[in-house]
Amino acid sequence: MGKKILVVDDDADVRLFNTTVVEESGHTPIEAANGEEALHLIQAEAPDLVLLDVLMPRQSGIRLYRRLKTEPALKHIRVLVLSGINKKSFLKSQQALAEFGGGDVPEPEFYLEKPVEADLLAATIKKAIG
Amino acid sequence: MTSILVIDDEPDLLRVLARTLKTDGHEVATELNGPDGLLAFESHRPAIVITDIKMPGMSGIDVLRRIKERAPDAEVIIITGHGDMDTAVEALHFGASDFVTKPFRSETLAIAIRRAEEKIDIKRRLREYTLDLEGKVAAATAELRRRSNFLSNLIRSSNDGIVATDENLTVVIFNPEAERILGYRQEDVVQRRRLSELLPPEMVEFFHTAMQDACTGRECPWTETIITSLGGDRIPVRLSGSILVEKDRKSGTVVFFQDLRQIRRLQRELVHSERLAAVGQTVAGLAHGIKNILHGLKGGSYLVDVGIAKKDDQRLRKGWEMIKRAIERTSNLVMDLLSYSKEREPQYEQCAPNEVAGEVCDLMRERAQQGGIDLRREFDPAIGRVVMDPQTIHTTLLNLVSNAVDACLFDDGPPKPYRVVVRTACEPDRIIRFEVIDNGAGMSDEVQARLFASFFSTKGQGGTGLGLLVTRKLVQEHSGTIAVQSALGEGTTVVMRLPYREDVTPRGGNGPAQISESDRS
Repeated sequence: MGKKILVVDDDADVRLFNTTVVEESGHTPIEAANGEEALHLIQAEAPDLVLLDVLMPRQSGIRLYRRLKTEPALKHIRVLVLSGINKKSFLKSQQALAEFGGGDVPEPEFYLEKPVEADLLAATIKKAIG
Repeated sequence: MTSILVIDDEPDLLRVLARTLKTDGHEVATELNGPDGLLAFESHRPAIVITDIKMPGMSGIDVLRRIKERAPDAEVIIITGHGDMDTAVEALHFGASDFVTKPFRSETLAIAIRRAEEKIDIKRRLREYTLDLEGKVAAATAELRRRSNFLSNLIRSSNDGIVATDENLTVVIFNPEAERILGYRQEDVVQRRRLSELLPPEMVEFFHTAMQDACTGRECPWTETIITSLGGDRIPVRLSGSILVEKDRKSGTVVFFQDLRQIRRLQRELVHSERLAAVGQTVAGLAHGIKNILHGLKGGSYLVDVGIAKKDDQRLRKGWEMIKRAIERTSNLVMDLLSYSKEREPQYEQCAPNEVAGEVCDLMRERAQQGGIDLRREFDPAIGRVVMDPQTIHTTLLNLVSNAVDACLFDDGPPKPYRVVVRTACEPDRIIRFEVIDNGAGMSDEVQARLFASFFSTKGQGGTGLGLLVTRKLVQEHSGTIAVQSALGEGTTVVMRLPYREDVTPRGGNGPAQISESDRS
């Protein structure tokens, strides 16, 4: 049975790519173009997985990821980070925010760096949903 | 306390005198005749000698003469008999410092001694003063030599060619750099050639007039001119000179000049190496931009694959559009890179800056609207048609407005009504000022410091880190300036000033590579 997967990216082309992969994997995609929209949809639709871009307008993926990992009601939602920046830079930004008083958050379990092949994306989604 | 030797053949008088002088606090030695007195003088060297004039054997005059021969500075007081004025005068003639006449009171002798003491003191001070003066002269001479050495070293090692002349414009100083530039050897020029043989006629004319005419200024400001070397090479130089004035008299001239071939070469090398370094840094920034484009290409081809496999026209079309957009982005990136890495002379032509700014606003209107941003135009109606490079205005302004819109879109702060203002204004000295003001994210000091320094981007998909660099380069090529003011969370103001001309004739450049319109399309 298909799961509900939220695709978050400010680039419409990337969203189209990702939602097609989600559809082809037999799941139902919903879309958000920025962090703010994403947070609304997460609260309203309770998706099973979030495909999260990092550099976006209206609340970046870095902040949204923190939010998801620190808020008790949202902690259970699985996140696949899919970004143009590499994992090291992502963790460095998280660390900087932690030192700023945000506290530590766990490393993302699933991380893909753009550009990514459709096969790998589909396989990672499958793994993330479990 | 003074040491005094008393010589007298009358023992009683000698005793009385010695006692009186000792009572006055002096150190006293006594002798009864001339030869003994001289021996005592030799061994003790008293400051003052008091001698009777009439003595058996050697007279007081003889004693005086012998002492003065040996020690001209010794003070000798003569005791003469009453009415013996001739001898007294003779004694003064031979250098006696004073005389007292018998019978005398002790006060009279005391006065004579005090006067002798004063003379000794004056002589001592004079000697000290002279010594001091000699010391000062020696020190001053050393300092003068040091300064002179310093100055000649300075002239020798200067990076400027330095030629100095006397009042007849004959060369007296010709430093190694002047040798290098002009090709003459110092020894063939100094005292042998005149300034007129080295400098272009108009410079010679200046110095000639300035030397003769009291009213002419003494300084010849830096000018660029051509001088001809010994080998006949025409060398571009930057040259300045002045008339040397010594005690209100014109004593000569000095000319400084710099070899512009070297300076121009260094400037070219600097620009070149800066560009190379910048391009090197770009690679890192570019990698990010290219990764995004690649992702789009992969996504597009995936959609095309799916579309073909499932005979789904819609996906096929969407995939193909994605690929086309990725191609478009690649070409934009390459164009940006090209316009940064190549020199491009501004193409000056008649244009209306307000119209160009308006076109930029039109292009950005849709993106601003989508983001809920109020894009305002505040154009100065006084700006009419001027001669500028409209392409420079268009590209730079588009970059800046696009940045301003992004700054609003990417703002992580609490939501607010966003606005971007594009303002134009006329400034004195033929300058158009363009301002792009946003109330978006703003930048931290750290980000501002790296703004022009490296190819970095804070943006997501679109940022290649090239926009501002291209902008700054175009502004510089247009002889303009660009300044950024920003506060985190409050917004950013960019002020760009571009000069305009009235004529269309381009200034003489040294023929750099140009990107013509056909190259760009």
